[in-house]
Amino acid sequence: MIRGIILYKISPFLRSRILLTLLLFLFLMLGSALSAEKTTLHLWHPMPAPSRAVLTELVAEYEKLNPDISVHLLYKENEEVRMAYMSATGFTEGGPDLLYGPSDFTGALVEMGIIKPLENLFTEAELADFDPKGLTWYQGHLYQIGDELGNHLALVYNKRLFAEVGLDRPPETLQELIEFGKKLTLDKNGDGIIDQYGLVWNFTEPFFFMPFYASYGGWVMDADQNPTLNNEAAVKAFKFVTDMRDVHGIIPIECDYDIADSKFNTGTAAMLINGAWSWAKYMESPDVDFGLAVLPINAETGLYPAPMVATKGYYLNPYLEGDRQDKVVALMKFLTGPEAQFKYASRLATIPTRLEVRNRPEIANDPIIRTSMEQVSHGKAMPISPQMRAIWDAMRPAYQNVLGGSMTPEAGAAYQQELAEQKVAELFEGQDVDPDAVNITAIIVYLAGLLLVIWALYKLFIAFLLPLIRGIPGVQVKESRFGVLMVAPAALFIFGVVVYPFFYNLIISFSNMGLTTVNDWQIIGLAQYGKVLTDSQFYHFFLKTIIWTVVNVVLHVVFGVMLALLLNRPLPGKGLIRVLLILPWAVPSYITALTWRGMFNIDYGAVNIILRNLFGMEPISWLIDPTNAFIATIITNVWLGIPFMMIIALGGLQSIPQELYEAASIDGATAWQQFKKITLPLLKPVMVPAITLGIVWTFNNINVVWLVSNGGQPGDQTHILVSFVYRAAFNLYRYGYAAAFSFMIFLMLAIFSVKFMQKNKVTETAY
Amino acid sequence: MKKTTPLQYIMIYSALLLAVAWSIYPILRVITISIRPGNNLLTQSLAIIPADWSFENYIKLFSDHPFGTWIWNSILVTVTVVITGVTLASTAGYALSRFRFPGREASLLSLLVTQMFPATMLLLPLFIMLSSLHLINTYLGLIVIYSSTALPFCVWQMKGYYDTIPYSLEEAARIDGASRFMAFYKIILPLASPALVITALFSFMSAWTEYIVAAQVLWYKEMFTLPIGLKSFQANMTTEWGLYAAGAMIVSIPAIALFLFLTKYLIGGLTLGSVKG
Repeated sequence: MIRGIILYKISPFLRSRILLTLLLFLFLMLGSALSAEKTTLHLWHPMPAPSRAVLTELVAEYEKLNPDISVHLLYKENEEVRMAYMSATGFTEGGPDLLYGPSDFTGALVEMGIIKPLENLFTEAELADFDPKGLTWYQGHLYQIGDELGNHLALVYNKRLFAEVGLDRPPETLQELIEFGKKLTLDKNGDGIIDQYGLVWNFTEPFFFMPFYASYGGWVMDADQNPTLNNEAAVKAFKFVTDMRDVHGIIPIECDYDIADSKFNTGTAAMLINGAWSWAKYMESPDVDFGLAVLPINAETGLYPAPMVATKGYYLNPYLEGDRQDKVVALMKFLTGPEAQFKYASRLATIPTRLEVRNRPEIANDPIIRTSMEQVSHGKAMPISPQMRAIWDAMRPAYQNVLGGSMTPEAGAAYQQELAEQKVAELFEGQDVDPDAVNITAIIVYLAGLLLVIWALYKLFIAFLLPLIRGIPGVQVKESRFGVLMVAPAALFIFGVVVYPFFYNLIISFSNMGLTTVNDWQIIGLAQYGKVLTDSQFYHFFLKTIIWTVVNVVLHVVFGVMLALLLNRPLPGKGLIRVLLILPWAVPSYITALTWRGMFNIDYGAVNIILRNLFGMEPISWLIDPTNAFIATIITNVWLGIPFMMIIALGGLQSIPQELYEAASIDGATAWQQFKKITLPLLKPVMVPAITLGIVWTFNNINVVWLVSNGGQPGDQTHILVSFVYRAAFNLYRYGYAAAFSFMIFLMLAIFSVKFMQKNKVTETAY
Repeated sequence: MKKTTPLQYIMIYSALLLAVAWSIYPILRVITISIRPGNNLLTQSLAIIPADWSFENYIKLFSDHPFGTWIWNSILVTVTVVITGVTLASTAGYALSRFRFPGREASLLSLLVTQMFPATMLLLPLFIMLSSLHLINTYLGLIVIYSSTALPFCVWQMKGYYDTIPYSLEEAARIDGASRFMAFYKIILPLASPALVITALFSFMSAWTEYIVAAQVLWYKEMFTLPIGLKSFQANMTTEWGLYAAGAMIVSIPAIALFLFLTKYLIGGLTLGSVKG
């Protein structure tokens, strides 16, 4: 009360201040939207920091040569740049002028119709100097001009660590790799924990497994783009990798990209399998005496491991015309020109696509580029058809199941083939709809939609407009107008933002929108819902979502109320303790979720180290075992959610009159009786709305699950419904299916919440 | 209340200390990574301050990246969102608490319903909508979306707080000749300041930490808000963890500071209203 009066007294001053700042902000916002007179060209790219620096220099050079042009660079991660380009160019005819990326983007971008053929924009003479591998053709058209052959994996080794055990050369066969690996895997201080591993790499990703598969004679697809994953080669390659870990013990049990990178970079691993993009970093590391070698031959088959080689280069936005297109093509020519390529190659040891640049002495004599070229000659071109994405999505769970021990190599091979065939079919689903047939379903869907809109407008009229004109029964017209006008701005704001997405999603959920039908989709009725409901995965993840929600919310409430009870008394240092307990809520969850993932690492994670030091427990493989991974995500989310419930409970406890307890004490009630008869019943009305919200938020919490499990790992099993639909549907461009799936999630949640609120009488007075 | 015995004190404090350790340890890890030199992600040491600690990453943030600009942009967006959020939530919550108009219950329910849309349902259409309204590369688009994401919760909790303020206070003011709005503005609003503070805090959090929508809307590095700037240190294969952690701390510090100062308002001010009543 007193505080309120003080605030009220200073508020006129504050009010004018706020108004002024608001005006200033509006002005600034308008200012930033104004564009300059120069032509600004947009280029989106996924280049890591070292190549980004070269690109920035090149662009600055180009801007100097062409003062009327300004080039704007935007960096996004590989997958994100592709997704962002697809939404911007595929759905709104916008997007950047140029897209840079690996050649495996090509198939999907062509199927969506969002990159332009280039063969008429470049003369034959201009293309003559390019290595044919540097030009990406698809279905008879040229779509990408490469400036680099890259992404191939090779063997990086630390010469210093080799010398320490008396080795003076890299291994020459895979069998020797294991032998060397054993010599280089050391427990230096004899405490039973390995301090240096012979070999590390991101072996849980199928991309990093491919070379071994190829060394047994396997490849991902045949000439007709059909997956070829169930064969002897797959079984042997699975065994080879698991043996390195389980039989020979030369690789860590758990190793993702960052762990491998960090171990090698700090000199605690002797060999590393990593791609061309990463080498520059190790050359500069003080702990690494850098050596590069080709992946050694498999003596059993006489075949070299074949890493996938991708062309990296530029794609052109299809909506460009005339003068602007000429400007963009000129920029493209500059960025793939000899001087640009020379700069990349001489600074980062990349392989230029221009033969003339490749033959310059500085490049041809560079030992790293030479080894890199040799590795490329053993490699195979990364397939550019969209099927490749379906194959990756099929290999990942199968391979990770084999690594985790829940499948034999044989079962894994069969599973990945079956899954790949299914996913390829899903990729091209919805193509069999005849676009010219009279579409009765469409008419019905639109009619139903129209009725829905009319009904909603009618309801709005009754609810808001009528009181505005005629007043609320029993209240003066002026008064009711005031009431409605007070709600209107917020209501407009919220529903203005939500209404369009809601109806868009609803309509798409009745359509066949997919990779090949982004721009000519048809209404096909309830087919997508049928697919969702007949998919056993849906029920599997539905169950998991229920477990996830119930366990989380129960633990949030139990711990939250417990802490609140402890804090609800005079206690020295209470303020500080309270603030520290709230901190998990204050730090953005995408930061702490990633930290938790790090803490769950088997060797280096704090969780296992603490368990070992306190209880002498064996390390738990939190992130490899599916059940443990799910528990790990729950632990993280419990940590995140306790403060909210604690605060709500504290507020509730403070509003319980102290006299009640005093009276109960006099009557001889025990502490437990007081808690059961006074605290709980009076706390319930405060907690129930918070619990309802908690359930709704937890049910759809994609962030935590996604970040802790790194997108559903292992084997795409650590999912709740919303992360599963993101993974399984959007990844394969199944927009119609994703919309139907999302709508089902929404519907279930809505029905459940309404029932829950009715049961717990949220709709009655809270106070 | 009965007196707490010394033994009880010991038990309460040890339970609370355990809880505090559990709650702050992961955050301390972020600090550890941010002051560790280079990119050394791995160590089996549990020490919070590494032996070779340095502020190298923090210095790099400001010298090699337009981090100052990003902070300014974030402040710009966040302050506008907070002002919009507080204005709209305080008025709407008031009307929902004091008036019984036909659409009232439906409005309250639909506030909750908006919280149920899965992210997969909104992302693509929101982008299409912003793009067709020419709101790409403007802060206006971001501000509208951020304000409306925080609003349902804020309205709900403002309404809950107004419900606890007796109606007689306004009646007294009305008798003294104040208009309806003046009674709200001069009497009720100051009384609801704890709830206003929380609404501001929630609006702040939703704008200050968001990056998914921002990454779709903003194309210019100079226009980035803090969270997308932070995202740009995260690459598919080559995340700069030291920089990322240092940036994460800078994003977190204002949020932590706000929570620190506002804890006393949070308790008791955060009252979620019911749909009826």
